[in-house]
Amino acid sequence: MRVLVIDPDPARAALVAEGLAGVDPAVVRQSAVFDAAEALAFGPDVIVVACDSPDRDTLESLREASQANPRPIVMFADRSEPGLAEQAVRAGVAAYVVDGLAPGRVRSILDVAMSRFSLMQQLRGDLAKARADLESRKTVDRAKGLLMKERGLDEAAAYGLLRKLAMDKGRSISAVAADLLAFAGILRGGDGS
Amino acid sequence: MTALTLGFIPLTDCAPLVVAREMGFFADEGLSVTLSREASWATIRDKVAFGALDGAHMLAPIPLAATLAAARESAAMIAPMALNRNGAGITVSTGLAGAIAASSLAQVVAARRQDGRPPLTFAVVFPYAVHNYALRGWLAAAGVDPNLDVSIVVVPPPRMVEQLADGRIDGFCVGAPWNTMAWATGAGEMLTTTATLLPGAPDKVLGVPWSWAERDRPLLEAVLRALTRAGIWCDAAANRQDLATLLARPDLVDAPASAIARALDGEIIFQRDGAATPSQADALWILSQMQHWGQIGPQVDHAALASRVFRGDLLERALTARV
Repeated sequence: MRVLVIDPDPARAALVAEGLAGVDPAVVRQSAVFDAAEALAFGPDVIVVACDSPDRDTLESLREASQANPRPIVMFADRSEPGLAEQAVRAGVAAYVVDGLAPGRVRSILDVAMSRFSLMQQLRGDLAKARADLESRKTVDRAKGLLMKERGLDEAAAYGLLRKLAMDKGRSISAVAADLLAFAGILRGGDGS
Repeated sequence: MTALTLGFIPLTDCAPLVVAREMGFFADEGLSVTLSREASWATIRDKVAFGALDGAHMLAPIPLAATLAAARESAAMIAPMALNRNGAGITVSTGLAGAIAASSLAQVVAARRQDGRPPLTFAVVFPYAVHNYALRGWLAAAGVDPNLDVSIVVVPPPRMVEQLADGRIDGFCVGAPWNTMAWATGAGEMLTTTATLLPGAPDKVLGVPWSWAERDRPLLEAVLRALTRAGIWCDAAANRQDLATLLARPDLVDAPASAIARALDGEIIFQRDGAATPSQADALWILSQMQHWGQIGPQVDHAALASRVFRGDLLERALTARV
């Protein structure tokens, strides 16, 4: 089976292609943009396309039979199994099956693509959270430093004061720390940023 | 506040959705609306059909085509409001514009065939689009058979200008601001507009799931009232510069404000003269085009489909309910 992956996100495309390489005999090619001539030369049985790629509309047009092109080249994988296309679109991916492939065979391909898409989303989410955590730790450290300098506290006492402020206000320590730094900036005549 | 998510494609005519959010018209109706920028009409259609979006900016023929193709009742759609009329144009490469001016399009096509060169390639944004019908009508009127004499392909709007510049396509029919962008970069020349070819044809509509009108009509009416105020705001000449600046934002249309302003100065209509009401005549005309160009078979009951999908009555009720 030959699978063409169209995804403007190269990291995600690589992750999907790597997953598909493990599916029963599959030759996988990936590209950021759909190119009709390239696709014709490769001869895919299935085209997997990210929903955030504008190329979906080009693929849709290939479903249309016309006088110049009497047979539709591809069909959207919505007839293969009830609910499958819906599940895929919700996961951020769509598939087009080239005329001739048994519709049932698209399931295994889409399962891999969907799980890889959600894996990518999770990885990106984890990365964003790690960055945010690091950022909030830096904020707390700077607020602690400010309290130590201005109030002559040691590190433990400065942290204790921040924690008490946070508990009194029912907010997170990093939010209280950020406010403290902003107010200190204003008192020093800055714009608070 | 009721939370809703509406989809849009980065084009000038997404303006009513953007303005209703930015100017607080949605908020005035008790709605908290998130706008979701989408990359393709196919994804817009699927997300509305599957309920991942509550509604969206759509090419006017899409709700008709989607309802006809829907295997399940839940995937059927209605268009309770038109977002704009006119606004698109046909642009050809500078070279082709010169050749047409010197002879005619039919002669250019015949000469290419005689020389054994590949046929001219024109692009549209989606098969189910008034732009597709306008381009085909324009070609046919020039004595060129759109099915046999030229090749018509689908290219995403933001890639149109680049493909015209590097010669992969010879012309296109697309909405604003891409005709202006082709002109501004010297890649092409706009020869005519949909306002000239098909005056007053519905261009984009608000497409929502069929079930919405039954499930929660007051909520749908609130959306329609907010969009009506937005359309009136968009039509006002005094707001045009602010509108161009707003739409130019990278998270919206992401094109130069000057190009958007020029496009807005053209014939695009949002609200005035009853433009926002999707009429039965609009739907019947679109269905006749779909049939003429082989997109639907002869068995389709045009009148039944038109009255089921183009629901201008819902807009009229939304506007009178308030008084």
